Amino acid sequence: MRIRHYFFITGLTVLIVALGLAVFPAAAATPGPGETAASSRVLAGPENDACLACHQNPQISVNLPNGDFYNLFVDPQIFTLSVHGEGGITCVQCHVGFEPGMGHDFKAGSAREATLRLNETCAQCHQEQSSQEKDSAHAAARASGQMEAAICTDCHTAHDVRRIHDTNTGEILPDTRQWIPQTCRKCHSAIYDKYRNSVHGEALSDESNPDVPTCIDCHGVHIIEDPRTSTFRLMSPQICAKCHTDPTIMDKYGISTQVLNTYVADFHGTTVTIFEKVAPDATTNKPVCYDCHGIHDITKVDDPKKGLEVKENLLARCQTCHPEANTNFPESWMSHYIPSAEKYPIVYYVNLFYQFLIPGALIPMGILVVLDFARLMINKFRPPAKPKARERQPKDTSEEATYE
Amino acid sequence: MSDMTSTPTKKKVFVRFDLLQRVQHFIFLISFSLLGFTGLPQRYPLSPISTAFFELTGGVEVARNIHHASAIVMMIVSLVHVLEVMYRVMVLSTPISMIPWISDALHVYEDVQYYLGFRRHKGYYGRYSYAEKIEYLALIWGTVVMGLTGFMMWNPISTLRYLPGEAIPAAKAAHGGEAVLAVAAIIIWHFYHVHIKHLNLSMFTGKLSREEMLHEHPAELAAIESGKHEVQIAPTVLRKRQMIYFPLAFVLVAAFSVGFYYFVAFETTAVVTLPQGETVPAFYPLTPTPLPTPTPTPEPVAVTTLTWEAFAGPLAQKKCSMCHGATAMGNVNLTTYADAMKVITPKDSANSKLVIKQNAGGHPGQFTADELTQIKAWIDAGAPEK
Repeated sequence: MRIRHYFFITGLTVLIVALGLAVFPAAAATPGPGETAASSRVLAGPENDACLACHQNPQISVNLPNGDFYNLFVDPQIFTLSVHGEGGITCVQCHVGFEPGMGHDFKAGSAREATLRLNETCAQCHQEQSSQEKDSAHAAARASGQMEAAICTDCHTAHDVRRIHDTNTGEILPDTRQWIPQTCRKCHSAIYDKYRNSVHGEALSDESNPDVPTCIDCHGVHIIEDPRTSTFRLMSPQICAKCHTDPTIMDKYGISTQVLNTYVADFHGTTVTIFEKVAPDATTNKPVCYDCHGIHDITKVDDPKKGLEVKENLLARCQTCHPEANTNFPESWMSHYIPSAEKYPIVYYVNLFYQFLIPGALIPMGILVVLDFARLMINKFRPPAKPKARERQPKDTSEEATYE
Repeated sequence: MSDMTSTPTKKKVFVRFDLLQRVQHFIFLISFSLLGFTGLPQRYPLSPISTAFFELTGGVEVARNIHHASAIVMMIVSLVHVLEVMYRVMVLSTPISMIPWISDALHVYEDVQYYLGFRRHKGYYGRYSYAEKIEYLALIWGTVVMGLTGFMMWNPISTLRYLPGEAIPAAKAAHGGEAVLAVAAIIIWHFYHVHIKHLNLSMFTGKLSREEMLHEHPAELAAIESGKHEVQIAPTVLRKRQMIYFPLAFVLVAAFSVGFYYFVAFETTAVVTLPQGETVPAFYPLTPTPLPTPTPTPEPVAVTTLTWEAFAGPLAQKKCSMCHGATAMGNVNLTTYADAMKVITPKDSANSKLVIKQNAGGHPGQFTADELTQIKAWIDAGAPEK
């Protein structure tokens, strides 16, 4: 082999490596599943040790003008174990624009003001989540002056941000599912208490059941909608239906997946469905799933106190909207059953009757109409043969008269 | 049949439907159409046609109001019809021409023969053909079923005082099934016979020509023209019958009015207020874990003697060590006397780096004026360690 071949091969190798380097850093920076928006930003700035030199002192704090005591302590161990610590994020990537030195020229009227100002920093990397949050009920509450409404760090914490998804599968981690209601509980503890004792909350807390919903499965994450609106009410059956029409989940517990169908087929569900389609923001008093089954404190249907399979409980539910309802009344709702010879036989046989009556009446009519029309057409387009015999005819006794 | 039209005939018209009948038909058809248009989309709520219909008409509640109003109109027309038929039968002794008879079965048989080419003519219908009779009777059946089941759905609580709960969904099933049957029968049967096959406007004009009579009601035509249909009632008999009829009709109207009032205003089925929603307060924060309480600010260092150990050292510890301690920010360490001397020139406070920095002001951990004066005094005194 000639020496120039070596040059050629070497040159080619260098080119490939250079190309590879140009391509792969980008690939390496592609976020893994679950880390959708966080891209690591590399900033020139002091190392964390410089900050921690002061801020790892548990005594470090400041008294703000409104009298708030603002703790400035960061536990290096906690931060190192957090998802940001693992990712090698430096303090100044989040705490942007701080002058080095005592006090950092930091001014905030209150502890909340300081936190709110820092909250903006999350959007640098988590833009999608941040913009979703701007449309949420929490953001709306803050805009209306309720500054205690949750911001990023209220749920995720500042320095102890935990991993939510499995890095390999992108699935939400079982630990996270346990942690979610505890997070919301920080502000919504009364609702948490109801949820904790519901069929869903018990299964999550006591059995770590992976099928039951946590808060976010119904309310969403980041773009958390105000659940008190008409729009939410009308759309809510779809939330429940997401799991309750899925046989892969429901079959495990022997729960019917016909709950949505049967609801839509009845008065309440029909109205709600039509409203949702035609005027999704309209107000209707027709009940949705949670008006009967409970909000947050949903129980099993055979629960003696609240379960709707217990007739007294169902009647009590009916009477909240139908105050004059008597003991026969609850049976007029077929409890999500599809009528059969065993369950709701009258309805079943009425349906069966019409299944026969409708074709039984329409098919003979159709046949006669088709025959009549065919004859009409034949007579119209084919000249008739001369009559063979004299035909029976009513006598013509025409006169200028109107007969009554 | 077409060869008959060639026969020159004089213009003759026969009154088929009187004004009352035509008005009844017109009002009934309006209410029937409105009921069908507003009812079927409720039966098939998931159909895109239904959605389009509701979008067009302003929603399901509007459709329900129209449905209910049309039902009321239909009930009134039905009452008028009952009174009319009673008068015709009781007072005028008009033959009950709507009852199906053996001849009707025969006409069906003859018609089928005619369609198949075994016969030159259809059956010779009387005043009402089997097509009209079946439609009329189906309409009566349908009105009764729809009225009863409609009442049950409109007033479920009252109904369930006497019937089991299941009656309401059963009524709904029957109402829906009957609706589909009625609308489909009207489209297939009625539309074909009076619109498609031959546009018969006698229900609006009230009249049929002799030729139309000949084609469609030949037996009736024959009866009229032979004078058989005339029933003459003596005025005294007529008066006597009316004396029975009118009180009866009055009682019927009164009973109907009362029933009708109840039909519409029997009960308040449901409250109009919205379901309550979540009752516990949404924002109900847990009592947060108390933050560590701030340590009391150390007392100002008491000036005893101006030495490093007694004065300058503790002051540096208090004011400077955050940055100029272990961190040695800017390579300045004020922890030990030896290190501190790197920024201090004994006996020359004006040229000491520490003083220059502090004199400029605004340094984090700025000394107070008193402290700075004392520091200068200490340096000018030679910055003694002990």
